[in-house]
Amino acid sequence: MSKATRHTDTPATSIKIFHGPQHPGVTGNMSMELDLDGETIVKAVTHVGYLHRGFEKLVERRTLIQAFTIVCRICVPEPDPNEENFARGIEELAGLEISERAKFIRVMVLELARLQAHYLWLAGQGGSIGHEVVPQWAVGERDFILDLFEALSGGRVYHMYIYPGGVKRDLPEGLLERLSDLLDRLEQRLPEYDRVFFDNAAVRKRLQNVGVVDADEAIVNGYCGPVLRGCGIARDVRRDAPYLVYDQLEFDIPTETGCDAYARALVRRAEMYQSIRILRQVIARMPPGEFQCKLPRHHKFRLPKAETYVQTESARGAFGYFMAGDGTEYLRRLQVRGPSIVHGFTLLEPLLVGAQLSDVALIMNSLGICPPEIER
Amino acid sequence: MAWTPDVKGLIQPFTALKSSVEQPYTLNYPVEKRQDVTGYRGFHVNSLALCVGCGNCQEICMNEAIDMVEATGEINPKNASGLVPRIDYGRCCWCGLCTDVCGPDSLRMEGDYTYVSADADSFLYMPKDR
Ligand code: SF4
Ligand code: SF4
Repeated sequence: MSKATRHTDTPATSIKIFHGPQHPGVTGNMSMELDLDGETIVKAVTHVGYLHRGFEKLVERRTLIQAFTIVCRICVPEPDPNEENFARGIEELAGLEISERAKFIRVMVLELARLQAHYLWLAGQGGSIGHEVVPQWAVGERDFILDLFEALSGGRVYHMYIYPGGVKRDLPEGLLERLSDLLDRLEQRLPEYDRVFFDNAAVRKRLQNVGVVDADEAIVNGYCGPVLRGCGIARDVRRDAPYLVYDQLEFDIPTETGCDAYARALVRRAEMYQSIRILRQVIARMPPGEFQCKLPRHHKFRLPKAETYVQTESARGAFGYFMAGDGTEYLRRLQVRGPSIVHGFTLLEPLLVGAQLSDVALIMNSLGICPPEIER
Repeated sequence: MAWTPDVKGLIQPFTALKSSVEQPYTLNYPVEKRQDVTGYRGFHVNSLALCVGCGNCQEICMNEAIDMVEATGEINPKNASGLVPRIDYGRCCWCGLCTDVCGPDSLRMEGDYTYVSADADSFLYMPKDR
């Protein structure tokens, strides 16, 4: 850990306030205990526990198919990487091979999920600095993506769609055309966000040089996603350990060197263009075929005694699942490693020391912290 | 510290004002209603003429939201138990597993998603017979 630690002594004149658990900085409930000297933070301690639902244990007590419906709830803004991890872990343990079509559909779902998560982040980032326009636009545009999810999976936020062995349903008629039209529309709208948000002098003033991450610590401390790429380090699970068909698709890993909130904003902005690029390739190359392979003893199938660790790149960084089977129809152990656990403790606490009170929500949002995945 | 004003960055954001003359994207509810989405996971329906009372739906539901209760009205003559599912909407998470395991495809989910009642017990919901 860097400069400040959780146990720094605070000056006698400081005031203690609780920032949260409900506030615009994060999607979910998490509170920061802040010691302030005037407007400046001298000590910050993260408090979690408001959202603990015990997912890991719940999963161990349910058959594999029953557990599949729970994992998506580990992350509200972007549930699909959880479904993908869970399904891929089971496939690896059970030795199932999924069809090309299922792989392409999954990439489509994951990229759409990334796109909508970035829109939601944009809304939060705008909200946290008092920008009123962009949050409305971003949430509106996200809703168009959710409309597609609704047609695809029957649900807007929790899709429960990526299923061990493939996906739950085939693509409905005309979905790819709708997707293609939507991408045109979104891409056409993105420059407006530049004019109103990313190139806005006031936004730059608020985001630049705020929440500056020490790039030397980034790898050692296990930062990932836009936080790491905002430090100029091009790491991305899709490139470093390709899954599904990412090795057949063309896309760039955008990086920025500013290490501050603005650099992370630009990384996410560039990733939105990359997701659109990937989605267009998926539309062009969507192969025909089966969308689901046959599961042995479908609703009661057993996993061999084995362990695996699977990773997916979520909008917030590498999302990993450790899964262990023990020869029954239950998982012996599931461990979820989300990006927020390091970003919310190891990184956030020292980062807030010296920052202004008004920047707390901004910094939390720019790190993309999601409390439910800390308290799985 | 010298500050050079970013004139473009100060003026450009005002281009957002042009949205004020655009038509709204939202629906004029209740005059306009949302179109039904095929395959939406809304409220359950159960075709009693097909349901065989096997209880598979009850068994798969990991929220224990389904109780098998005595059926009223016409039921499938093959329904040996005489029981049909009733769903506790205080527990259901709309996963749809119960509809997946239903052999005769009698239990399905349709587009309805609003329900208002002053009687909390009616959230133990009897799927409509369709
Ligand atoms: S709804 Fe389907 S699964 Fe449930 S008891 Fe009837 S036939 Fe069986
Ligand atoms: S939709 Fe899921 S939670 Fe609801 S009754 Fe069916 S199986 Fe249970």
